[in-house]
Amino acid sequence: MASSTYRRSRSNPVEQFFKKFPQLRRFATSAIALLLVLTIWQILCASPESNLPGPVTVVQDTWELIINPFFDNGGTDKGLFWQIIASLQRVAVGFTAAAIVGISLGILVGSSALVYDALDPIFQVLRTVPPLAWLPISLAALQDSEPSAIFVIFITAIWPVIINTAMGVQQLPQDYKNVSRVLQLSRWQYFTNILFPATVPYVFTGLRIGIGLSWLAIVAAEMLIGGVGIGFFIWDAWNSSLISEIILALLYVGLVGLLLDKFIAFLGSLVLRGTQS
Amino acid sequence: MTVGHNNHPSHRFPAPAAHSPKPKIATPQVFPFRSHRSPFPPLLAMSVYVEIDHVDKIFPLADGGEYIALKNIELKIKQGEFISLIGHSGCGKSTLLNIVAGLDRPSRGGAILEGREIRKPGPDRMVVFQNYSLLPWKTVRENIGLAVHTALTQLSLGERKATIEEHIDLVGLRRAADKYPHELSGGMKQRVAIARALAIRPKVLLLDEPFGALDALTRGNLQEQLMQICQDHHVTAIMVTHDVDEALLLSDRVVMLTNGPEAHIGQILDIPIARPRHRLEMVKHPAYYGLRNEIIYFLNQQKRAKKHKVQPRVAVARNGLEKVNLDLGFIPLTDCAPLVVAQEKGFFQQFGLEQVNLSREASWKAVAQGVREGRLDGAQMVAGMPLAMTIGSNGQPQTPMVAAMILSRNGNAITLGRSLQQTGVRNLADFTQWVLNAPRKPTLGVVHPASMQNLMLRYWLAAGGINPDLDVNLMVIPPVQMMASLKAGTIDGYCVGSPWHSLAVQDDLGFTIATDLDIWPGHPEKVLGMREDWVEKHPQTHLALIKALMAACEYCDDPRNRQEVATLLAQPQYLDMEMARLVPGFAGDYDGGTGVEHGSAMAFHRFHSDRANAPGRAEGLWILTQMARWGMNPFPKNWVEVLERVRRLDLYGEAARQMGWPVQEPGLSAFHLFDGVVFDPNHPVEYLQQFPIGQPLRIEEVNLEDVAPPDAAAPPLSLVA
Repeated sequence: MASSTYRRSRSNPVEQFFKKFPQLRRFATSAIALLLVLTIWQILCASPESNLPGPVTVVQDTWELIINPFFDNGGTDKGLFWQIIASLQRVAVGFTAAAIVGISLGILVGSSALVYDALDPIFQVLRTVPPLAWLPISLAALQDSEPSAIFVIFITAIWPVIINTAMGVQQLPQDYKNVSRVLQLSRWQYFTNILFPATVPYVFTGLRIGIGLSWLAIVAAEMLIGGVGIGFFIWDAWNSSLISEIILALLYVGLVGLLLDKFIAFLGSLVLRGTQS
Repeated sequence: MTVGHNNHPSHRFPAPAAHSPKPKIATPQVFPFRSHRSPFPPLLAMSVYVEIDHVDKIFPLADGGEYIALKNIELKIKQGEFISLIGHSGCGKSTLLNIVAGLDRPSRGGAILEGREIRKPGPDRMVVFQNYSLLPWKTVRENIGLAVHTALTQLSLGERKATIEEHIDLVGLRRAADKYPHELSGGMKQRVAIARALAIRPKVLLLDEPFGALDALTRGNLQEQLMQICQDHHVTAIMVTHDVDEALLLSDRVVMLTNGPEAHIGQILDIPIARPRHRLEMVKHPAYYGLRNEIIYFLNQQKRAKKHKVQPRVAVARNGLEKVNLDLGFIPLTDCAPLVVAQEKGFFQQFGLEQVNLSREASWKAVAQGVREGRLDGAQMVAGMPLAMTIGSNGQPQTPMVAAMILSRNGNAITLGRSLQQTGVRNLADFTQWVLNAPRKPTLGVVHPASMQNLMLRYWLAAGGINPDLDVNLMVIPPVQMMASLKAGTIDGYCVGSPWHSLAVQDDLGFTIATDLDIWPGHPEKVLGMREDWVEKHPQTHLALIKALMAACEYCDDPRNRQEVATLLAQPQYLDMEMARLVPGFAGDYDGGTGVEHGSAMAFHRFHSDRANAPGRAEGLWILTQMARWGMNPFPKNWVEVLERVRRLDLYGEAARQMGWPVQEPGLSAFHLFDGVVFDPNHPVEYLQQFPIGQPLRIEEVNLEDVAPPDAAAPPLSLVA
C-alpha cells in the first residue's frame, strides 16, 4: 500500500503525450471522426447499385479537377479555383455594399426610437424572405443576371448587419452616453469616440452572420443565373450527371464558407485589438 | 500635510534610480494646478455656490400613477465645501446628484450653479461615476485626453497635452498610461476616473459612490488622495456614499436623506473637525464617535421607519388604560434606576402596564427624536429637554411636551483629567487660573445642550470667571464616550451623570472637582418626558405610568434596596458593567479621587425623598433662564404659560393623591446656587441681567398655540450648543 503513495501515473504514453499537446489531441479526435465518416460513407456506397459514389470513387473521378484547379478553357469551362474566385467576387461586391449600407442604416435605426419603431417591422418581415425569392424581382428590375446575383447577396447579407448594428447602438451603456453628455461632445466626436467603438463588436457579429448567409445565397443564385461560378458549376455537373464533381464542389463550398467566417472573425479581433472589457 | 504628501503615490513611481547620476529633467510636479490659473477667486469663497432650490423629482409609473422620489430638497453649498449625501439604497441620492450634474431634470424647483440654473450637463460639473465609466477602447491617456481635448479647447494643444500628463502623474498612473481599462485594477480605474474629472478643472466635482466597489485598503488610500487633492485645489464636491466613515472623513457637511418615496433631507450634520484630516487620526477626535453615532442612529432610524411602515404599532388597550404596550427610552446611567426598577420589580405590571419595553438609546438626541417622531411613547429625559423641545430651542421645530414628574435629582459631577490634579488644580479658582493660562483652549464635554450637565457646568464656569463660550470649547459627547475621550487626551474634562464620573476616578483617569451637591444640591436631573398630544390621547395610561414610576422611585430611595437596585442596573440590557463599579456614590461612599467629602450616596442620588418627584415650576424657570443666558433661545416672555404647559404639577398632584402621598406643591420661593446669587422666581429677567458672563439677553413671546403636530420627518438639528 505504501508504494502506491509514490506511484507514478500509470496512464499510457499516448495519454501522456496528449497531455503535453492538448491541441494535437483535438486534431487527432476530429481526424478519427472524419476517417470514421468516410469509412461509413464508403461502406454505404460500396454496392454497385448505389446511386452515389463512395469517397474513393469521388477522388478517382475528380482527380483531374483536384490537381489542376487553374485551367481555363474559355466559357464556363474553367478550373475550380476560377469558379470559386468568380463567386467570391460577387460576394465581395454584394457583401461590401451590404456592410456599408447596413452599418449606416443600423446606426440610424438604433439612434432614433422613432425610426426604429417605423422600420423594425419592415425589417423583421423582409429578413425572413429566402434569398432566392429576391432573384426574379431583381432580374425584372435590373434586366441582367450579374447585377441581380450581386443584389441577392446584398439583400441577404444586409438584414443581420442592420439588426445587429441597431442593437449595438441601443445597448450602448448609459454610462458612456453620460460621459459624452457631461463632456458635451459634438455629434462627430460622440460618433467616433463613443458610439462607433462601442458598437463595433455588435457590427462584427452582424457581419459574420451576413457573410455566411451571402455564401449560402450565391450558390443558389448562380445555379439559376448561370455563368462562371461554383453554383453554376454544381448545376452543370448535375446536368452532366457528374455526381463526384458535385460532391467535390460541395466540399469546396463548405471550406470556403468556413474560411470566410474565420476571416471576418479575424478582422473583428484586429479592430477590437483586445480592448474588449 | 506632510503625511499626505509622503503617502502620495506619485512619489513612488518616477523616483530616479539610485545609481543614475543624471537627475531627471522633467520631474513631475505633485500638485500642478497652481501652475495654471487659479480658478477660484477668494472673494467668492463665502457665498452660496451651488443651490438646490426646492427640488422635487417625480417619475411617472407604468400604471399611470407617479412615484415621488425626491420631495422639497433644499441645500446651499459654499465654494470649496465638501458635501456627502448619505441614505439607504433607493433614497434618491444618485438622482439628486444627477440633477446637479444636469443629467436629470427636476420635476419642480431647480439647481443653480453660480447664479445660473443648471439645465444640461457640462464639463463644469464633472462626474466621477459609480462604475468609473472609462471607455474600454481607449487607454488611460486617451480617456483623460478625450475629456481634456473636448473641455479645455481654450488651451493650446501643447498645454492640453501637458495637462493630461500632469494628471496622470497626479494619480500616480505614469506606468499605466498606455494601458487599457481592462488591464487595470478597480482602484486604478477609479484613479483614472478621478484624474479625468480633475483634469478639466470642474467648478463642482460630483462623485457617485466613488469607492463603493473597492477593497478596504485601496479605498482608504484613495480617500486620502481625494481629500488631499480637494483640499489643495479647493474643489467644491458633492459625494454620494453609504459609508459613514468615508462621509465623516471627507465631508464638511453630511446631508442625510430619508427613505423614499418622498425622500427629503432628514438632517444635516456639520463635521467641525479641522483639516487636514487623516484617516487614522480622525478616530481619535473627541467629536468623531459622537458624529458617527449620529449618522448611524439616523440610518438605523430610517431602517426602522421602513419596518414601521410595514407593521404599524397598534395600541393595546386593557385594564381601563388606553395603551398598555409602551416603548420608553432610557440612557445607560445610574439614574435610569426608576425605569429599571419599575420594570424588574413589577411596578409597571402592578399599575396595569403589561407590555413595557425599555429601549436603550445611543444619545440624548436620539431620545428626543424618538419621542418627537412617535417611535418612543415617552422617555427618561434630561431636565431641560421637554422645555427646550416645547419652545423650539436651538432652532429645532417646536414639539409641545409634558414633564409631569421628576425621576431623579443630583447624580452629576465635573471630572477633570489626572494631569490637572498633578498641576495643582483643586478648586474652581485654581481651574480658572489654569484655563486662562492654558496654551490652547481647553475642551470640556457635556452630554446635551438642554442637560443640567451643560447648564450647571456653564453656571459653575461662569461663576468662576470663565466664559464658557469663549474661554473653553464645550463639546457634545454621549456619556459612554466621555472616558475614552478623556483617556485619549482630546478633552480636558467633562460633566456627566453617574457612573461615568466615578468610573474615571476608579480607573485613575481623572478626579472629581465638584459634584452637584457642591453646586446646587437637589436640582432636578431627569424627568419623564411625553409628547403633549400623546398625553391628551392617553390620560389614564399617563397617570398609571407616573404612579408606577413613583412607586419605583420610592423603592429606589430605601437605603436597604440600593445594593439590589445596583445589581439590577448592572445587567447587560441596562448598564452592562460590574455591579461593584456602580456602588460608589450610589450605594456606598463616593470617592472623588481627592479625599474631599462629597456627601452621602442617598443625597447624591435622590429619587423620592423630600418631594423629589414634584416638577416644581421655580426649577423649570431657572432652566429657562439659563437656556436664554447661553443663547439657545430667547427668554420666553410668556414663561408662566410655558411652565404651566410643560411642568404639569396638576397631573403629578393627581397621581400623588391616588397614591395616597401627601400633595405638597412646591411654591415659588427663592433659592440660590453655590455662589449665593439669589434666584427669585418672580423676577427672572432681573436675575438674568445681573450675570456679567452670558450672551446678550433676548426676550420673546413663544407661540404655543398654532404648533403644527410633529410629523415623521426628522428636522435638521444643530449639534453645537
